[in-house]
Amino acid sequence: MASEMASATVKLFYREAIARAVREEMMRDPRVILIGQDVAAMGGSYKEFVGLFEQFGASRVRNTPVAEASMIGLGVGAAAAGMRPLVSITYMDFLMLGLDPLVNYGAKLRYKSGGQLSAPVVVKTTAGAKGQGVAHSQCIESWLMNVPGLKIVAPATPADAYGLLKSALREDGPVLYVDHKRLFPGAGEVPCVEDLIPIGKSILRRHGRDITIVAHSYMVRVAEAAADRLAAEGISCEIIDLRSLAPLDLAAICESVARTSALLTLEEGQIPCGVGGEIAFRVQEELGPVRVARVGALPVPVSSNPVLEAACIPDAERVCQAVRQILSASRNPVRNVSQ
Amino acid sequence: MNYKLIVPGPIEDVEEVRVLEWHGTPGRTFAAGELIVELETHKAIVEVRAAKQGVLRRILCEAGGWRKIGEPLALLSDDPASPLPESADGLAAMLVEFEVT
Repeated sequence: MASEMASATVKLFYREAIARAVREEMMRDPRVILIGQDVAAMGGSYKEFVGLFEQFGASRVRNTPVAEASMIGLGVGAAAAGMRPLVSITYMDFLMLGLDPLVNYGAKLRYKSGGQLSAPVVVKTTAGAKGQGVAHSQCIESWLMNVPGLKIVAPATPADAYGLLKSALREDGPVLYVDHKRLFPGAGEVPCVEDLIPIGKSILRRHGRDITIVAHSYMVRVAEAAADRLAAEGISCEIIDLRSLAPLDLAAICESVARTSALLTLEEGQIPCGVGGEIAFRVQEELGPVRVARVGALPVPVSSNPVLEAACIPDAERVCQAVRQILSASRNPVRNVSQ
Repeated sequence: MNYKLIVPGPIEDVEEVRVLEWHGTPGRTFAAGELIVELETHKAIVEVRAAKQGVLRRILCEAGGWRKIGEPLALLSDDPASPLPESADGLAAMLVEFEVT
């Protein structure tokens, strides 16, 4: 009976999984507060905070002006003073305005104060292309992967959104939590009982023989669509959903690549200095040369023209092409393909 | 004649809906324009109204249940006593009007 309870799930919209995580953490810990644009009566730009203002009131759910640097600065300062703020930055593009407080203060506070202070702040934002053009579509998570002291998570399912956001709100240092616009129309099973997803642990979404595809956030779905097509051609793909970008679950990636001996990294952001480049290098530090390819956005801004947007960001067909190319490359074992 | 009530579409950006509330129980006659069921999307409510008169006969997805666009929600008929098939497969879709709010 107990195990049945533990494995029982309820189907929720992606936004509902977020609201539940925040609600539970706000009930559990009075230091958790929510600040951001339209987070109060409006319930968030994606309705992901619906009901929180009504339940917890204006002392804990606060609207802010359009002032991202001040919002993150407020969050980092409040965290240093003992709160556990969740700062909502609607579009990841505007995270840039708040990088100074996040990177120079939040991520360094523990180090700078010799461990006397910490900044347990979660900056939650939404990345990805969905018809909104050059400055509302970017995935810049790789920019922040080289900031010591900053953790980064990026769920691909409602259950992981729920579990990772809860874990983030219990971390003692700053966490960047990244949603994707295209995840919000979806729904999925979420555990009925409280469940935390540990930061730093990936999950194997699909077992395969021939190649390991590593992806995060919405690109996990693109990887799954590509793997379905490739299966019809007799190519068996293993898919690792990173869930955390910092720290990376390098052990799980290496374990998989050691079996498949081929690696394809997939991200919606730009390829240069991207998530994939980092993973590809570190895997080869561990395993020696393996066949590897990176797939990411084309090196152009994301257009608001839907045809050009689709041409820019990776889709299943582009992943399939890269997989076929890498698996057919036999002479040079280290073939680095950028698609 | 029997009909199936399906999740109407297309609705931009919607993959799946959850039934929020039925506005009647089996046996109720809906006149054209009357609200039959409200559906919840990830960001909006869809009001599904009868576009012609019909009798709600069997609900296939209770409140809280999930359906994709085009999947059956209920069986309706012109005649309140006509025999109903086991499955909605092959039935004509009930004419509806829907509004996303």
